[in-house]
Amino acid sequence: MTRVARSTTTTPGRLTIMAVALLVVTAVTGIVAALTLQAKQDTLDDLVEHREPLAAAAQQIFRSLSDADATAASAFLSGGVEPQALRDRYELDLAQAGAALGKASSDVGGDSLAGDQVAILSQQLPVYSGLVETARANNRQGFPAGAAYLREASTLMRAKLLPAAEKLYEIDYDRLQAEQEDARSIPWAAIVLFVVLAAALVLTQRYLTRKTNRLLNIGLVTASAALVVALVWSSAALLVMSAHVGDAERNGSQQVDVLVRARINALKARADETLTLVARGDGPGYEQEWKQLSTTLVGDGPDNLLRQAKALAAGGATADQLQQAVDNAAAWVAAHRKIRELDDGGQYEDAVKAAIGDAPDSAATAFAKLDQNMIAALNAGRTEFFTQTSGAGKALTGLVPGVAVLALIAAAGITLGIRERLREYR
Amino acid sequence: MSHRRKWRLAGLLAAAAALCTACSATGSPVDLATVTSVERPQPAGVEVNPGSSTGTAAPVPPCDPNASLRPGPLPPAGQMPAGSTMKAIQDRGRLIAGVDQNTFLFGFRNPTSNALEGFDIDRVREIAEAIFGDPNKVQYKVITSAERIDALKKGEVDIVVRTMTATCARWVDINFSATYYVAGQRIVVDRASQITGVDQLGGKRVCAAKGSTSIMKLRESPAPPEVVAVDNWSDCLVMLQQGQVVAVSTDDTILAGMVAQDPNVKLVGPRFTEEPYGIGIPKQSEDMVRFVNGVLERSIASGTWTASYNRWLGQATEPAAPPAPRYRD
Repeated sequence: MTRVARSTTTTPGRLTIMAVALLVVTAVTGIVAALTLQAKQDTLDDLVEHREPLAAAAQQIFRSLSDADATAASAFLSGGVEPQALRDRYELDLAQAGAALGKASSDVGGDSLAGDQVAILSQQLPVYSGLVETARANNRQGFPAGAAYLREASTLMRAKLLPAAEKLYEIDYDRLQAEQEDARSIPWAAIVLFVVLAAALVLTQRYLTRKTNRLLNIGLVTASAALVVALVWSSAALLVMSAHVGDAERNGSQQVDVLVRARINALKARADETLTLVARGDGPGYEQEWKQLSTTLVGDGPDNLLRQAKALAAGGATADQLQQAVDNAAAWVAAHRKIRELDDGGQYEDAVKAAIGDAPDSAATAFAKLDQNMIAALNAGRTEFFTQTSGAGKALTGLVPGVAVLALIAAAGITLGIRERLREYR
Repeated sequence: MSHRRKWRLAGLLAAAAALCTACSATGSPVDLATVTSVERPQPAGVEVNPGSSTGTAAPVPPCDPNASLRPGPLPPAGQMPAGSTMKAIQDRGRLIAGVDQNTFLFGFRNPTSNALEGFDIDRVREIAEAIFGDPNKVQYKVITSAERIDALKKGEVDIVVRTMTATCARWVDINFSATYYVAGQRIVVDRASQITGVDQLGGKRVCAAKGSTSIMKLRESPAPPEVVAVDNWSDCLVMLQQGQVVAVSTDDTILAGMVAQDPNVKLVGPRFTEEPYGIGIPKQSEDMVRFVNGVLERSIASGTWTASYNRWLGQATEPAAPPAPRYRD
């Protein structure tokens, strides 16, 4: 204690203390910077390998279930034994939803809200499929109880399964956004330490210049240079990374989110269209919902999700795909209007044909095309996310070991530079 | 001596150690997924003990619900008299009929052909045949029991043929044709059930359609059950098959349609009401009432009624003679 107190009164004592302090700040700055950058790298890897696939799994559950609901209604409307294509589609929907649910449940962790949704989905999905199969068994025997079972199944789907799937998707998308936010956040701790270290180096060199009348100290200049290199390199890398993550967000995940919502609305509307015909005049609620949902797919309003997605599209190919989607959505709405005219005009059989037939102007054809466009754009959005986020990761290549080495160089410079001056006092 | 003491000490220590291990594990095994009850799926729009919707306080004038308006001579098909309700329908090109698509044997959608069929649908086709000479010129509008009166009052449909009981309360709002069938309320239960009559249903869950006369009769029962009200009669069969209700109570004809779909349920107890079915027609269209009554008389006289009865209800219920029409004028 007394030694330290005495040493502050002498120049060599002061120099020793300065050297120690500088080395400590350098070490802390190096460690904090390396850890921060490593954390960013990990976040980016996690986004690509974990977070985005899980959000995709959650939306897979959502759209597979919506599709199953719409397909079951179409199959029922086709009369007799349902066409093989619809049966296959329904079965694939259920298998995809089940598989995605398994993946999504592995990630629930401590989030009790997400856990609740997974519990609802995994408990009610078998119940739903049981009801649909009971409906099918009754249909095969020509019993109208089949229609009642199908209505019960659809009610369960719309009242419990779809809201849970939607909630789960929202939770996963929020987590994805939070992690992107995290990747782009400014590393304040490291920046403050850099500033402190830089200031300390400048002050030390000014002190030495005053005391020794020598302008430059090679060791400390080297340390400063290492500091500048580290600062420039990591700032540039972080800026590039941030730009990539921003692109991944805008053209990737946000674009996908808008498209997911558009696709879900389209599927719901398609189910409404067929259920109106199944109910045969007894389903005014379905037609009302159709009208609401269709405003999110056509028109010039701000609610038009397809136009929103087009505005977010990265490349010309995706924009073309979405322009086709806009056109096909308009064709579908026209086909729907025709169905309603036919049905309201008493031509029920023709209305059913216009809804589920494979004529080029049928609602089924327009909807299938629209769905294809949206799937293509969705996949393009996911690819864009992957490319940009991977690019962000590449921008940080070598930065962590680089910063560590530069910190060591700075420490060596400080040690050598001050030891040289201390030697002059012996 | 010291040897034995040593051993005793070792034994004590071991016992203490064992005790400590035991007392450190005071908790119980962890259950990651605990499910103790199951939420059962329900048909859309189920209500338990709903408030009485038809409980209008206005006194109902006494009447003979079976007595309709006397028909005149039937005009030939396709030549409806000018200015008549039938002429308006002929000019429109189709008859709009409110029907059911969920009641087996009366009005139901044949899942194989997608077409509506049944005893009620045959009545609609007869009327279309009489107006147009073509039984297919019909636009079917599916309505629930609860929607029948409103659909007629708002003019959304020309006729309602949907297992509809003619009552004095309904005569206030709409007209009925002559009675075309007489049903009676009974109950259907699971084959293994011990219930044999409506008096044993007190406090039990019993299904019936909203806005039906059956639901009112259940409420008025001396042993009132817990009424589960649904939109369509087939929803009742679903709930009975799923064990969510112990019985369904309504007209024996509708119940016969349930027995025909499921051999594991049975009709029990005697008829405890009489339900004369009439075709519902808007209040202002008296010419239409007379016309429809003419069509019914002709159908009964020509044997078409009996053929239709035998096709749909012959096996399910006992052979019945067509009801004799009664008129109030």
